[in-house]
Amino acid sequence: MSAERHDMAGAAVGSHDFVVISNEQVARDTYRLELSSHVSWGLMPGQFMNFEVPGDGSHILRIPLSFASCDLRSSHVVIYYVTVGEGTRRLSAMRHGDTSTVVGPCGKGWRLPEKEAGRCLLVSGGIGSAPIAAAAGMLAQAGISYDVIAGFQTAARIPQRLLDEMEPLLADDGRILISTDDGTQGFAGFTTQLMEQLLGEQSYDCVLTCGPEVMMRGVAALCAREGIACQVSMERMMGCGFGACSCCNVPLVAGGYALCCQDGPVFDATEVAW
Amino acid sequence: MVSGVSMAVNLGGIKMRNPLNTASGTFGNGVQFEGFYDVGATLGAITCKGVAAEPWVGNPAPRLAELGNSAIMNSVGLMNPGVRGFVERYGTYLAGLRERGCQVICQIAGHSLDEYRAATELFEELAPFASGFEVNISCPNIAAGGAAMGATPAAAAEVMGAVRPLTSRPVIVKMAPHDVAEIGRALEAAGADALSLINTIPGMTIDVRTRRSRLARPTAGVSGPAIHAIAVRMVWECAQAVRIPICGIGGVASGVDAAEMILAGATAVSVGTANLYDPTCVPRILAELEQWAQEQGVSDINELIGAFEC
Repeated sequence: MSAERHDMAGAAVGSHDFVVISNEQVARDTYRLELSSHVSWGLMPGQFMNFEVPGDGSHILRIPLSFASCDLRSSHVVIYYVTVGEGTRRLSAMRHGDTSTVVGPCGKGWRLPEKEAGRCLLVSGGIGSAPIAAAAGMLAQAGISYDVIAGFQTAARIPQRLLDEMEPLLADDGRILISTDDGTQGFAGFTTQLMEQLLGEQSYDCVLTCGPEVMMRGVAALCAREGIACQVSMERMMGCGFGACSCCNVPLVAGGYALCCQDGPVFDATEVAW
Repeated sequence: MVSGVSMAVNLGGIKMRNPLNTASGTFGNGVQFEGFYDVGATLGAITCKGVAAEPWVGNPAPRLAELGNSAIMNSVGLMNPGVRGFVERYGTYLAGLRERGCQVICQIAGHSLDEYRAATELFEELAPFASGFEVNISCPNIAAGGAAMGATPAAAAEVMGAVRPLTSRPVIVKMAPHDVAEIGRALEAAGADALSLINTIPGMTIDVRTRRSRLARPTAGVSGPAIHAIAVRMVWECAQAVRIPICGIGGVASGVDAAEMILAGATAVSVGTANLYDPTCVPRILAELEQWAQEQGVSDINELIGAFEC
């Protein structure tokens, strides 16, 4: 029942000022935003922030974005995003020294698997690679080995800089495998096809995935078939980002809905009614 | 009260320390905003999310669209945990708000007269912290009940008539954005202590590539700064038709917006959609409102209610 998912979470969410350090295009429609704040926001991997983007007042909602990396002490945050609408287009116009506000930290992020759980597989589609990078950082810090499948539509959309930033986090035997839908780089085909191939060579105990819902549904199905624990980071249009408006509902297997902003964005794949 | 202007108002028996209230469904149940400011020390009242006797799951996704003209559309469909679940989760917090001087208005939802009665009875029994109730007869996003229950003066009065004998606490009715003078008069006659208006304006937004609604349902409720002028007009029309106090709602995002509502005849003013994109807005709006009252040279904000000059 949806009601069961309502809780008192959200009290720690606040409004914070930030300053843009840099905001550069790194691939087709893809940007890398580096920002900082005077205070630590206490961000955890997989959580998100709701950005106020200066504009003419025509678009009123904030832009919810997850982050790729975050220095917890200084609130130095790196975000990768794609321009999909008016809000992200305006965000891409922000320059070094520009200031605005974020609401956060929002939601519940990645859960750290037990170290004894063994090897993890991270599967991202498109800009889902950003929160997956945060998951990679979390696993590296915990000493948990993992491989990464990063899928993109086409080579021109691959943010190489993000992959370069993930590379040093990998264990000696860890790999980052690229796939493109059109075959312009790496494995030609969908991430789920590459994942299926990889599952034949290597066993995994845990999968963390973020990307288009159709991809995550496929990843969740493979995990269910193989009996692998799977965490999914969902995306929704959001009103507030902290449980006030109930607009970002995710259907549950148990019936009813959870709220993506408050109960997620990271869910156990078996909870979600795909 | 930095300014020396008395800001206290009486919304149909609900004594508020200042005119600011929150529009149901845009403020969670208050606790979600504690990280932004001290809710209990700031607001005159909060209006909680609509609750029915039994839990409702609400509408499918997507429930929200940005319209790009200072408005959004939502179709949540009154997702709620039922009165028992609501009291269990939020009762202690809301009782604390009352103790801190912030009035707590619980909103009653239903699909039928029986459901409105059942929810009211449960609230009466389980929610001693409620300062009063707001009966929602204007939700545009549910298949039965909601706006249909408030579509005509007779239907609206029937709901009020069903709820009235069940509680001695103040009852406000949340009205739909049409025929507000006529329906307001019927509600007043049926025993309403106050009226709140407007609820979201029914609208449509179509993805022209797919020819489908951008939301899960064909129609949904429009809110945000774009609807403010319409709301002010309706508050004015309603205020001239009734003697009971009005809580003005619709696109309020600044002290000027709130002041317009008061001049048009509102005793209290709810902040709605602005809470979503600017969760720190209420303390600012309150300070701006107070400054305006001071600039108007009054010692009591009540002197400005309905002070619009034609």
